Amino acid sequence: MLTEKYPSEIQAIFAKYPVKRSAVMPLLYLAQREEGYITKENMQEIANLLDLDVTEVAGIVGFYTMFHDEKAGKYRMQVCTDLPCALRGADAFLEALCDNLGIRVGETTPDGLITLEEVKCLGGCHRAPLFQIQEGDMVAFHENMTVEKTMELVEALRKSVNSSPRAATA
Amino acid sequence: MAKLINLKINGKPVSVPEGTMVVDAAKKAGIDIPVFCYHPKMEPVAMCRQCLVEIGRPVIDRATGQPVLEENGQPKLQFGPKLETSCSTPVSEGMVVITDSEKARAGQREILELLLTSHPLDCPVCDKGGECPLQNLTMKFGPKESRFLYDEKHHAEKHFPLGDLIFLDRERCIQCARCVRFQSDIAGEPVLGFSQRGRHTEIVTYSDPGFDSVFSGNTTDICPVGALTTADFRFGARPWELKSSASICSQCPVGCNVTFNVRREVKAGGGYVIKRAMPRQNEQVNEIWMCDKGRFAGYQYTEADSRLKLDSPELDQALSQAAVKLAESASQAVFLAGGRLSNEDFYTLKQFATRLGAKAYLYTRHGGGEYTTRYGLAPGSNLGNLGKGDTVLVVASDLYHEAPLWYLRLKAAAKRGATLIVANARATKLDEFATFVIRYSYGDEVETVKSLSSKEKVGEAIKNTHHLVIFYGADGLGLTGTTALAQACADLFTSLPVSQTAPKANNGLIGVWSTPNQQGALEMGFAPCADLAAELKDKTVYILAADPAGDDPTLAEALKGAKAVIAQDILETETTRLANIVLPAAAYTEREGTFTSGERRVQRFYPAVPARPGTKADFALIAELAKRCGIDLEGRSALLVMNQIVANEPAFSGITYAKLAEVTEQWPIIGRSDLFYGGTGYENKQGLGVTLSLTPGVSPQGRDKQATLLSPSPAAKEMRGEGLRPKEDELLAVPITKLYDNGTTVAPAKLLAAHIARFDGVFVNPATAKKYGLENGSQARVSLNGVTYSASVLLDESISTGVVLIPRSFGIPLAEPAFVLLTALEPAQEA
Repeated sequence: MLTEKYPSEIQAIFAKYPVKRSAVMPLLYLAQREEGYITKENMQEIANLLDLDVTEVAGIVGFYTMFHDEKAGKYRMQVCTDLPCALRGADAFLEALCDNLGIRVGETTPDGLITLEEVKCLGGCHRAPLFQIQEGDMVAFHENMTVEKTMELVEALRKSVNSSPRAATA
Repeated sequence: MAKLINLKINGKPVSVPEGTMVVDAAKKAGIDIPVFCYHPKMEPVAMCRQCLVEIGRPVIDRATGQPVLEENGQPKLQFGPKLETSCSTPVSEGMVVITDSEKARAGQREILELLLTSHPLDCPVCDKGGECPLQNLTMKFGPKESRFLYDEKHHAEKHFPLGDLIFLDRERCIQCARCVRFQSDIAGEPVLGFSQRGRHTEIVTYSDPGFDSVFSGNTTDICPVGALTTADFRFGARPWELKSSASICSQCPVGCNVTFNVRREVKAGGGYVIKRAMPRQNEQVNEIWMCDKGRFAGYQYTEADSRLKLDSPELDQALSQAAVKLAESASQAVFLAGGRLSNEDFYTLKQFATRLGAKAYLYTRHGGGEYTTRYGLAPGSNLGNLGKGDTVLVVASDLYHEAPLWYLRLKAAAKRGATLIVANARATKLDEFATFVIRYSYGDEVETVKSLSSKEKVGEAIKNTHHLVIFYGADGLGLTGTTALAQACADLFTSLPVSQTAPKANNGLIGVWSTPNQQGALEMGFAPCADLAAELKDKTVYILAADPAGDDPTLAEALKGAKAVIAQDILETETTRLANIVLPAAAYTEREGTFTSGERRVQRFYPAVPARPGTKADFALIAELAKRCGIDLEGRSALLVMNQIVANEPAFSGITYAKLAEVTEQWPIIGRSDLFYGGTGYENKQGLGVTLSLTPGVSPQGRDKQATLLSPSPAAKEMRGEGLRPKEDELLAVPITKLYDNGTTVAPAKLLAAHIARFDGVFVNPATAKKYGLENGSQARVSLNGVTYSASVLLDESISTGVVLIPRSFGIPLAEPAFVLLTALEPAQEA
């Protein structure tokens, strides 16, 4: 139950919005914080909190690409391969990354650390290849990347997970 | 009256009220602009872009505020650089709209081409084929060929059950959101939504069970493609094979106008079969909607295996035997008729009873009819006209379950600004849209209504209203309670200034009956019997369209003590099983007649299929019986009976079958040639019905006399001043009505079995359940009036801890509220 887990956060979110239903997005981020995805139970709870129907909440989760309703790796690595990025080698970068990680797009590394995703424009075309790393309710950009730099980052993430669970994207 | 705006569409001058959208203005002028997402019953969203047109507006000189003129004296027009969506553009003075220029046509054509890229074109196997807006508009406006590659077509899931009643074909969906918007804006149940975006956009439901709405069938009517189909009709028939037959839904007192589609089938030995029910437009009753109960249980019972039938000699013999028994008994005969009978049946029965000297009762536990006939809605009423300045009071009724279309209509009235007051002992779905919600304890209904005028805001809303409409139901009430409640509601009318209480349109008291024609019976003076069990003893009982034995074991016992029981019905029931003589009646789908709705609107239904061999219309059976008793009654046709009703029943004066069949132009335009615009539902060609007049010649006292012609109505006993307060360990059991129940006419609807099962049990507050060691779904003993039943426990947080709600028609008879003991059937498991 979100209300049990995050009472003060929820109160703070509610205080920001004169219309209750407006709080749906921050509540969804909150629901995503721990597990990186939103369960149907959480959607139902948010719907109840905001006097919405669960389908309306689910529609928002479905519409926005940074809300997830399925479990994935701890970090979602989201690479843009749109045309401007591709011109700067993003597609080749992604391919090489797949080889190095040993997974295909949409798959998760066996240790559950990284899920590799291909996404639409991240708004950083001039710094491609780039990706964002989403962890729970947080996100970080990594621009002008190479496979080597990326693999170093992955290694760092792996280490940080072993020491402190939420340090990587902070 | 809104200001009229003048504009020209394709050169044709048009005048429409301010605020009208261009697409509607064109439609009114007989010009079709293709639409998909737009629907005249819903706010425009301009999502599909199909309705693109060229729009020019007069250039206004900013200095003078006058239109700039061309050399030839005509106003100079400024056309937009791009095509505009006519569904979301309101008309303006001097506007010029061109819908058929090459530019406009190209826009419309290209949108269609684009929509078709992700459409499977499986028309030959699609249920919508033949009545499909996408198909029709493609033929009329679309490109002959697509420039896109067929192999790159978007493919998605087919045959996806949104719920058990509605199937979704994802690749046929064109994302117009008509269904999504219907559910959220009109039904008030936003259980459909979009997920994902762009080409991946898809319709989803997260409700449990899926597509949890009682209006779900309507989405299939307004779906402009074959994406949404009903479980009963999909792959059932092709639209062009179907004949349509006008009818009235018989499931509740709203009287929704419906169309039955029939065809002859090999499976039925070449006979006619009803393939589906669809709404038929009547903007004064059901608009273009109907509920799922009407759609999926409205006619199915007339085709049930349990239909009664006799061959001709058997029927003849049964009639003769019955006539002998009735003639012998004469004044010792009791007639008992359910509200499923038509006006013609009731009238014939009344004549028979009067001439025979028998007593005739209406079989119902919902009293107060003597008030609804006197204070009912007057001609010209239309709930669709209620709005700002009007007040609607709903008391002791869960309209969502008892009369879903009234729920829709009142929800809409509240949205238009009407003050909606909902008073009930428990939360109901209408609360969400109410201006004021009043909670009382069961037993306090009358006191609550009496105290309304003295409440500050609610009292003001009632006293200062232009129109007052009161709906009263039987939530938690029996015969005594409903009668007293009706009186209290009627007193509200009499206590108001005369200007408000004189009969006028959109003013009056409506009983939320459980049958389609209780109002018609009441208007002819039928009344319920206060102590039926005692009344039946040693009598010859003639029961029509009612199942007292199935409803209540005490009545079954009483019938066993009767001299003889003659049961006339269309289906086998407990009552027909214990009857000495059974007379098989034709179903209402097999004959002609009229029902009087709760709004006092008399409406015709027509035969959809031929009567089964060995059955006859109720009025014809009654007339046959009478004839054999030496009483000559009209039994040849419903029309001839109606002629007599009109001559002899003051309330029905002035009505003719021809008048009932009259239609006037309705908006929006829907139906066969216009189904792209308003949906697949049927336009009304067979009659809008006529509201009974509140007979001016008859004084209320006179009407009282009329009402007691046949039998004294039960005395409206004063209710106890305080609520019914149970003792320790006791709970108060009250009867309530759920939409889907095990009633004679609902149970045969196979498709609704799971929906019916959801209400099969007794409802208690979770705290109460816990106290008695019960949980959701566990079995309990319910001891009531000296009898113990076992039932499933269902939890409802919205009800008070001291009550047990007993849904009607689920096997636990509860005529009046009573105290009850609840015990766990098995020792509760520790949670």
